[in-house]
Amino acid sequence: MSTFTPYTYFQCPCTDSSPPVRNIGSDSPTSIHSSSSEDEKAFDPRAPRANYSLYPLEHLLYCEDCHQIRCPRCVLDEIVTYYCPNCLFEVPSSTVKSEGTRCTRSCFQCPICIAPLSVSSLEAPPEGLGAEHASQGGPYVLNCPHCSWSSKEIGIQFDKPNGIFTQLSKIKNGGDPVITARERRKDREERSRDSAPGPVTDEDGVQDETVVKLDPNEVLDAESQFSNLKAFYQAQLAEASPANALGFSGGDYGYGSPGALSRIMGLYTGGTYADKKSKAKKGTMREAQNAFEGLKIVAPNSEDALIAKLQNEGWDATSSSLQRDEQSTHTPFISDLRPIAYLLRTKRSKRCKTCRHILSKPEAKIQTTRFRIRLVALNYIPSISIKPLQPLLSTQLQAPLVPMKPTQFLLTFKNPLFESVKVNIATPAQTPGRFASKITILCPQFEVGANTDAWEEALRDGSKGVEREKRRTKAEASEGQLQAEAGKVWERGRNWVSVVVEVIPASLKPSPDFLKTEAQRKLAEEGGEDDRVREDEDVVEIPVFVRVEWEADTGGEDGGLGKEKEGREKRELAYWCVLGVGRIG
Amino acid sequence: MSSKRASTAPAAPKPPTSLSPTLTIAEHASLVGSYLITLGANTVVHPRAKLNSTYGPITVGSNCIISERSMIGLQGRGADGEGVVIEDGVIVEVGATVESKVIGEGCVIEVNAKVGRGSLLGTHCKIGPLCEVAEDEVLPDYTVLFANGMRRIDNSGVEDLKLKMVARQIDVLRRLIPSNLTKFQ
Repeated sequence: MSTFTPYTYFQCPCTDSSPPVRNIGSDSPTSIHSSSSEDEKAFDPRAPRANYSLYPLEHLLYCEDCHQIRCPRCVLDEIVTYYCPNCLFEVPSSTVKSEGTRCTRSCFQCPICIAPLSVSSLEAPPEGLGAEHASQGGPYVLNCPHCSWSSKEIGIQFDKPNGIFTQLSKIKNGGDPVITARERRKDREERSRDSAPGPVTDEDGVQDETVVKLDPNEVLDAESQFSNLKAFYQAQLAEASPANALGFSGGDYGYGSPGALSRIMGLYTGGTYADKKSKAKKGTMREAQNAFEGLKIVAPNSEDALIAKLQNEGWDATSSSLQRDEQSTHTPFISDLRPIAYLLRTKRSKRCKTCRHILSKPEAKIQTTRFRIRLVALNYIPSISIKPLQPLLSTQLQAPLVPMKPTQFLLTFKNPLFESVKVNIATPAQTPGRFASKITILCPQFEVGANTDAWEEALRDGSKGVEREKRRTKAEASEGQLQAEAGKVWERGRNWVSVVVEVIPASLKPSPDFLKTEAQRKLAEEGGEDDRVREDEDVVEIPVFVRVEWEADTGGEDGGLGKEKEGREKRELAYWCVLGVGRIG
Repeated sequence: MSSKRASTAPAAPKPPTSLSPTLTIAEHASLVGSYLITLGANTVVHPRAKLNSTYGPITVGSNCIISERSMIGLQGRGADGEGVVIEDGVIVEVGATVESKVIGEGCVIEVNAKVGRGSLLGTHCKIGPLCEVAEDEVLPDYTVLFANGMRRIDNSGVEDLKLKMVARQIDVLRRLIPSNLTKFQ
C-alpha cells in the first residue's frame, strides 16, 4: 500500500449555487440510519463535482472586500508581462501579437533533449597576447552542452552570434535559404503584373512563359505552402466579389470579416438570402494549379526517399514522439528537427470576479519574484492540520486504519488573524459514500487566540513551552492514558487550539445481506452493485463545516468609506473542508 | 591539516608510480594500491581525487583532468591483469567512478557518472551526469549518453575544438593547483 499523508482541502464557496449534495440516508447503500435529517445537506467530497471546488489552503486567495475565499475558478487572470524564461527579457504584448509566443532573440532549446542551447564559434579561440579582447570569428553554431547536439548536424551555421532567431528563420535544415513570405509575395506580384490582368481561369500557359525565379513544381514546406494557398484564395475572393456592399469578401472564406458574422447571424435568424448568394459564388472559384498557388502534388514515389532513409539509418535516425511534439511541422527524422525557440511565460495578476478588486499582483519587473499585492487565504482563515492522537512509532506512521476500531485524531486550528476567533465545527455523523465511517467531534466549539506580535511570541517562547508541557501532563494525569474528554479542548497555545476527532472506520467488506435495506437489495439485484472497493474508496474523508466568527476593525481596512462607523464589526465566515485522515486497511 | 590526518591514520603504502615531469598533481590527491599508476604529460589531478590501484594497474594518458572525489581504478577484485586505461584528453568530472577497461581519447565522464568494470569506451564519448555504463559494455566512438539512459551518436565534428578547449582548461588549472610531484614519486 502506498504511503498516505493526511490532508485538508477547503471548498471554495463559489460553487455554492449548485453544491454537490447527496442525501446520505437514501443514497449510500451501507447507511442504516436513513432518517438523519440534519445531515441531508452535508457536503459530499466524493461527488464528482467536488473535485472542482476543493483546494489546499495554499492555493486559495481571500477577497478583503467580499470577505470571501477565492479559488482559481472565481478569479480573473490578467497578464502583466510576457517574458522569456531563458534571457529574462520582457516582450511587449504588441510583439507577442505579431511575432508569436516564442522568444525572438537567441534563446533556443535543444530539439533532442530540451536543454538550453548556447551559441559557440566553430573557429578555435584566439590565442596569444590580448586574446581576451579579440572577438571570435564565425561561423557560429547552436550547441547543446548536455547531449552535445549541434546545429551543424542539421547543416545550419550562422554568420553572427546574435539574433539567431531571425537568422534561423531564413535557413532550412541543410543550409538552403528559406524563401520568405515577403519574397514570395514580391514574386507573386511580379508574376501577376507580367501575366496581364486577364481572366483568372486561363492563365495556364501564360505563367510558364513569364520570367519567374521560382520553380512552379518546387516542393513546398508546410509554411510556405500555407502562405501560398492563403494568398491564392485571398486573391480569388477579392476578384470574385469586388467590394461587396455588405463588406464580406464573398464565398465561404471570409470568416474573419464582420460581414461574415452578420451572415451567420442571418442564418440563425432565418434569413435565406445569404445561402443563395454563396451558392451563386461557387461557380467562379477555381482550385490552385501550381506551387505558386500552394498546390502540392503528392507523387506516388514521394515517400520512397523516406522509406529508403528508414531502411538505411534505422530506428536511431527517427525522432521520438516527445521530440516531435515540440516541433511545429512533421519531423519523422532526427535530421528534420529544428532548435526550439523558448516559449514565453507570463506574470499574471488576479482579480476577484465579483468585485474586481486585485487579489494578487506580481511586480512587473521580471527579475524580481516579489508581489505587490497578495491576499492569500492562508493569512485570513485558520489552517487545519491533522495528526493521530496516539503517538506512533516512525515505522507505524503509515499504518492503515483498522476497521471498526475507534481512532482519535488531533485537529489543530491555527489562527493567522490579529483577533481571536470563535470556531464552530460540525460534521455529519457518518462519512458519505458507500463505506460510512462514524465521526464524532469531541469539542465542536472553541475559541482560538489572536496571532499577536511575533516579537512577543519570541520573548514568551521560553515560558510558553513550559506552560504547554504543563497542560499536557495535566491532561494525561487527569484523563489517564491519553483519553480525550468530550466538550473540552485538548491543547491550547498562543494562536492555536487542538481538538480531538474520533473516527470509527467502516469495514470495507460488503454488509451482509440481511442487514441491507429493501432499497439496497433491490439496487444490488437490478444491476451490478459492485462489492469491490473502487479507487480511493478506502480513504476516510471527513467533510467538516467550519464557521469562524471574529470582531474586526472596520475603520482601518475600508479607508475613506467606513470612516464614520469607526469601531468593531462582527465578521463571520463559513465554509466546508474535507479532511483526509487515512486509509482503511 | 595534512599532519593531522597523518597522525590519526597510518599512511597507506605508496603505490609504484610512473609520473610524467609535466604532471600537475595536488598534494591532497590520493594514490593508493599496489599496482603501477602511470600518469601522462600535462595531466591534472585535483585534490581529493582517488586513484586506487589495489586490484589492477591504472594508466592515464596526457592532457587529462581528473576532478576531485572521482574514483579511478577497480573497486573490487577482478580478473588477473585487468586494469584501467584512460587515453589522452579525457575529462573525469567531480564524483565520477571509472572502472572501465579503456576510455578512449577525448571522452568526458560527467558529474557522478559511473563507468562500469570491463567496459570499453570509444573515442570522444560523453557520459552525461549521473549516467551509468554497464559492466563489459562497449560504446562506439562519439557515443553520447544523456538524460535517463538515452544515447546518440554525436556527428557535430568539433572534436579538435574540444581537445583544444581541454588544453586551455589545463593551462588554467595548472596555475591554480599547486603541484606536489615528489610526494607521490
